[in-house]
Amino acid sequence: MLLNRRNFLGWGLGTLAVSAPRLLGQEATASNGDEAQHVGCLVDTTLCIGCRKCEEACNRRNKLPHPDIAFTEQTVFRQERRPSAKAFTVVNEYTGAPSPDQEWMKETYAKVQCLHCLIPSCVSACIVGALTKTKDGAVVYNPDVCLGCRYCMVACPFQIPAYEYDVVLTPRVRKCEFCANFVKGTGADPACAAACPTEALVFGQRSSLLTLAKDRINRRPDRYVAHVYGEHEVGGTAWLYLTGRPATEVGLLAMPTFSPAHSTEAIQHGIFRYGIIPFAVYGALGGLMWYNHRRTQQSCKPDSESGQQVQEARHE
Amino acid sequence: MNKLQPQCTQKPFFTPGTTMLMVLAAIGFSFGLARILNGLGAVTNLDNFYPWGIWIAIDVASGVALAAGGFTTAAYIEIFGCHQFKPLLRPAILTAWLGYFMVAVGLTFDVGRYWNMWQPIINWQGNSVLFEVAMCVMAYLTVLTVEMAPPVLEGVKTWTPKRPALASVMRRAEKPIVFAYAWVKIVLPLFIVAGVVLSCMHQSSLGTLMVIAPTKLSPLWYTPLLPALFLLSAMMVGLPMVIMESLIAGKSFGHEPETELLGDFAKVIPWLISIYALCKFGDIAMRWEEISFAAHPDATVAWAIEIVLGLIAPFILFSLKSVRQSAGWLLTASLLVVLGVALNRINVYIIGYYPPFAGKRYFPALGEIALTVGLIATLMLIYRFFVTFFPIIASEVHAGTMSAEAQHAAHHDAVQPFWAWFFRGTAVVFLLGFVALYSLVHTEAIAVSLKASHEVQTAKISKGPKIETAAFKHADRPDAYRNLYVLNSPLLNKTNDYYEPVRFTHRTHDVNSGSTCSLCHHRQGSNMNDRVGDDIYKMHAEIDVRISGTPCIACHKDLTEKQFQKCSQCHLSSNESDFPARIGLKGAYHRQCIACHQNQPKTAHAPTDCVSCHHPLVPDHKPLLKIEANTQLSRQTVTGKCLGCHEETGHDILKTAHWNWQGRTPTISGQEHSTHIGLRNIIDNYDISLIPNPRLRDFFHIGDVRLASDWKDLTKIDCLVCHDTTATYRRDASEETIAWNNVAEKVGRPSRANCGSCHFYSGGGAGIKHGDLSPLLVNPDPDVDFHMGKVDMRCQDCHITSKHQIAGLSFNAPVVEGRIGCGVCHGEHPHGITGILSRHIDNHVKTVACETCHIPQFARKYPTQLSVDFSTAGQDRTDIPQQFGKPGYDKRYGEQTWGQNIVPLYRWFEGSRQNYLLGDKIAPDKTVVLNEPIGDKHNPKAQIYPFKVHRAVQPYDVEQKMLVAVKFEDCLWRDFDWNKAIAEGMKEMGRTFSGKHGFVKTEMYTSIHHEIAPARQSLGCADCHTPENIACTRCHTNAAGMNQPEHTQRVYPAFPNRFDFKALGYEGDPAVTGGRFYMFFKKGRPPK
Repeated sequence: MLLNRRNFLGWGLGTLAVSAPRLLGQEATASNGDEAQHVGCLVDTTLCIGCRKCEEACNRRNKLPHPDIAFTEQTVFRQERRPSAKAFTVVNEYTGAPSPDQEWMKETYAKVQCLHCLIPSCVSACIVGALTKTKDGAVVYNPDVCLGCRYCMVACPFQIPAYEYDVVLTPRVRKCEFCANFVKGTGADPACAAACPTEALVFGQRSSLLTLAKDRINRRPDRYVAHVYGEHEVGGTAWLYLTGRPATEVGLLAMPTFSPAHSTEAIQHGIFRYGIIPFAVYGALGGLMWYNHRRTQQSCKPDSESGQQVQEARHE
Repeated sequence: MNKLQPQCTQKPFFTPGTTMLMVLAAIGFSFGLARILNGLGAVTNLDNFYPWGIWIAIDVASGVALAAGGFTTAAYIEIFGCHQFKPLLRPAILTAWLGYFMVAVGLTFDVGRYWNMWQPIINWQGNSVLFEVAMCVMAYLTVLTVEMAPPVLEGVKTWTPKRPALASVMRRAEKPIVFAYAWVKIVLPLFIVAGVVLSCMHQSSLGTLMVIAPTKLSPLWYTPLLPALFLLSAMMVGLPMVIMESLIAGKSFGHEPETELLGDFAKVIPWLISIYALCKFGDIAMRWEEISFAAHPDATVAWAIEIVLGLIAPFILFSLKSVRQSAGWLLTASLLVVLGVALNRINVYIIGYYPPFAGKRYFPALGEIALTVGLIATLMLIYRFFVTFFPIIASEVHAGTMSAEAQHAAHHDAVQPFWAWFFRGTAVVFLLGFVALYSLVHTEAIAVSLKASHEVQTAKISKGPKIETAAFKHADRPDAYRNLYVLNSPLLNKTNDYYEPVRFTHRTHDVNSGSTCSLCHHRQGSNMNDRVGDDIYKMHAEIDVRISGTPCIACHKDLTEKQFQKCSQCHLSSNESDFPARIGLKGAYHRQCIACHQNQPKTAHAPTDCVSCHHPLVPDHKPLLKIEANTQLSRQTVTGKCLGCHEETGHDILKTAHWNWQGRTPTISGQEHSTHIGLRNIIDNYDISLIPNPRLRDFFHIGDVRLASDWKDLTKIDCLVCHDTTATYRRDASEETIAWNNVAEKVGRPSRANCGSCHFYSGGGAGIKHGDLSPLLVNPDPDVDFHMGKVDMRCQDCHITSKHQIAGLSFNAPVVEGRIGCGVCHGEHPHGITGILSRHIDNHVKTVACETCHIPQFARKYPTQLSVDFSTAGQDRTDIPQQFGKPGYDKRYGEQTWGQNIVPLYRWFEGSRQNYLLGDKIAPDKTVVLNEPIGDKHNPKAQIYPFKVHRAVQPYDVEQKMLVAVKFEDCLWRDFDWNKAIAEGMKEMGRTFSGKHGFVKTEMYTSIHHEIAPARQSLGCADCHTPENIACTRCHTNAAGMNQPEHTQRVYPAFPNRFDFKALGYEGDPAVTGGRFYMFFKKGRPPK
């Protein structure tokens, strides 16, 4: 789908609430997180060897149930897997060398987990604020207030949040929380990055990682695609990907550069800012009602033209 | 028209139709109950890709849309003043109220934590569209309830129960009802306007919901205009919904259809449709380029149906006057609009929803469909209930009866003007307060949203948090232990909880890499032939850390001064926040190794899995065991704890030689395919046989087997003897002296001490049997054993274990569970292939076993027994002095001789041996060799191996001419009656004894494999070959390097005649007379 900001802006201007365009313009420039104090993680798919240690570390840190197939087993790569309630991160295998200068390698591996968007759709969507973004950028979940509407799962452009459909009374939305414990209030501390044997995962400040990623691209233009996935995707993500093949070949989705959360928030804020529009509509309708009521009381005859008048009133 | 007044219908509630609806509702709610009891997953087809199904698309989204009749009719009649349609108002409000009721019930079943549904009232999240929907729906349901109040109150007021008790209740309730009715009548207009505003808000917001998923919703429907389209379509569907419902209800209750009234009512519908259609088509035209009709054919079909049948067709129909005047056509047209809008909602929420990575498309499960149908049936039942018992549907007034409304108008007039204004005031405060509060939250949300964006934009660089590593620290890893490993660093151990460090085999890697040092060491070779490579300076000068802007060598000048640096000087912890560009030590090692291993051909045996290089680390068992407080494990219960998780392992144990003491014996000549040979039918020189001696047997067996059934009992296995890491557990210790909980919680991989607890004491005491195994090996000097002392190898590093079957060949125990060899680590060319000398030494490997040169002497620091004379047992002698601290005479065994620093006996050995089995006939006048190695010079498989030979004088059965088993414990050692002891022993072995014993000389071989000396202490050339015979020195006497010790001097000058070449079958020193292959194959001539 071709969805860009200009296109969207045009529609917002033309039809929707008065203040939406201004908000959009304002926020669109803010989506670049180069100098954020957010932490992040850089995934270099040319270094990943598919050992699944990150999955194991994640499983242990989050005390997830023991998987049916052992973490040392490579047969799981036969099908593309997605994060689930029992595995917040998974590694997938894609045929072909990870980069043009690694022709001896027959497969590319890419880790999937929550990308911790700088402007997360799920946080914007959450009805009660069960999903929040911490100071250092981790998107964390508080099951105590969650009511299980699963709108976050609809909202997430990366198809990450998973749900415990089998739990009867207290199902939770499960996803990578950057190992930032909501209850204890600890910051991001990813077990997967600490476990990675080849340091294909580098955890650090997002701004430093961006510099590092671009440095690697500049150093090895023959190896890397000159695009840091996550730098601008949906307004920027905390997890960045460096790839030796086009990102869409290794399970990453082509994304617009603006955050979808901004679209809905612009509409919502435009309509409800200071309650102007609801009040105005209430006043106008109330006035019309009062006027028509008086007119009906004055002439008790039914007005055969009233239908036509309704139309005119609405056209106004 | 004024004759029409709302009245209770005169039809009975129970009909065949309502009964059927009840059945449907019961079926639906039974599925609802199943969802409550078993969870969403049990009843629905929802998954992580399709979190929303028809319960949202139909029950909620379509339910809200089709309930729009309430607010549109209210606006049409009350706000726009078309009072002539007032008879349609109450059914419309009832329908709306029912629609929202369905939304609430449907949501209760759909949300995962329905008990938490009140949370949005407390936790306001103004940025969330769904929050706006929830609040508006809640508020509007309140408004609708107020709007529903007049007919309900009228109905209640006129209800005259027959029971006296109820009647008295009704009498008391009369006054409050009248009061409430008056209040409602006064504030109703305010609520009607509020209802319209609230409806506009959340009808549009239901569209905004999906604006957040631009990449998932098909472009056929996705547009930022979705809120406007949802609102306009809701306005469009409201009036047709009322028409449809009115016609159907009329039919059901047998009323004449009010075609004229409805026809007038429908006049406005084409206009509403056209407004929506204009927006819809305009939007599609604007986004025409984005839309691909071929991408999802099913979506395109659904879209076309929605447009043609749901939009264009009803527009045409409603525009026709003839249609508006015919009840049937009105119904058809209304139905098309209603279904069209419902389809639109289903399209937006399900059919047009294409989540990435989804495998199969969502299709509602039976339970979802049943509950939805059941809900609709329930609505119809409630509708019928209301219209039966409350004045909702308008019908012609019977003469003489005053309408309920007219009756209550009197009460209305009775209210004082002050109270009327008070009521209005409270209502206004209530409504405005709600809207104001809501707006406030939104304003706050805007602030939060902008602040977040602002933070993202302007926050300055600050130091990121360090990784918390405490969680990874293993509980009890001995520090002294790990420093012995080669590729080990405290840095790595901070974060590693999975594996032990790699014991890196440098020589193999050296050889396999063609001695290209620069491959690993930081000298960058320009090609494979460049073995020296560029200076480390040059390489590191390029690696400047761009983050800090400074090259490494600007500060670390010493990088260039020393030739080799510790890797950990530069490569520190992973994920260092200050220098993310710097590869951590773990990454550096792994990239170095893995890149090379991946690139190797299969023949190089370069493993690429983790456990080929690392040993997995045993996790801390304290949390796993979950021993309850104040309970102590015991010998009987501890194995049960282990089996709780490792039951498979228990079954594996029952198949091992360590458990069964018998098994396959491929190395015993003549018994290659037997499985019955074991300790039960062999005789040795030291204990003669363990079987008749229960205390010895219990000590050496890995379980508590006393009865025949114990051999099949998993709980009799003693796991701790091998897996104890506390060094406090012993097989023979009494139950009370062992801290069972502590031992069980700290189980780990077997160490040398675990294996040694039996194998270092075999033969009845420390070091007695194996000359090369002694308690010193628990923590040896590198001089005693290089593998164990220097690189801390454990037994199982060589004795590779699979399912608890332990590889290795013992000369004393007959069973073999796998073969091992030095080549596994040291490769085919252990001495290297790069130098002439290396190649020359390597050539020896074909003939000489590694142990021969590398174990120059055995029992180097700890004495071993060389002979025992059982015939002298039972005397009280003190005349024989101690040797090496060991007794020269032991009453139990007789005279003994001991040795230390013994030069082995060298013999050809091809891998198999003759073994004496109980029952074999012996020649009593000759020395009986119990286990003679097979092999000679002409056998190409044979190599020269080092052996220990132990000599004994032991009893035999004179009549049967065979060796015998002896019961020592509580028998021989009590009264030294040999005949009785032998008879008892043979009985235990299932054999008979003739009653007459004699003594015979026996010899027993033990192959020497341990106590590998450091390379400098292994044999030199001159230790076997006389210096003047060493071939190269005959010509190169003056060449540089030829005076090296390994060429011309003995490493062990005390043993000049170490090798008896003649005894091995050579004519003389093979350096002179030629190697065995020259002679055997007659292919060459020995050098003269």
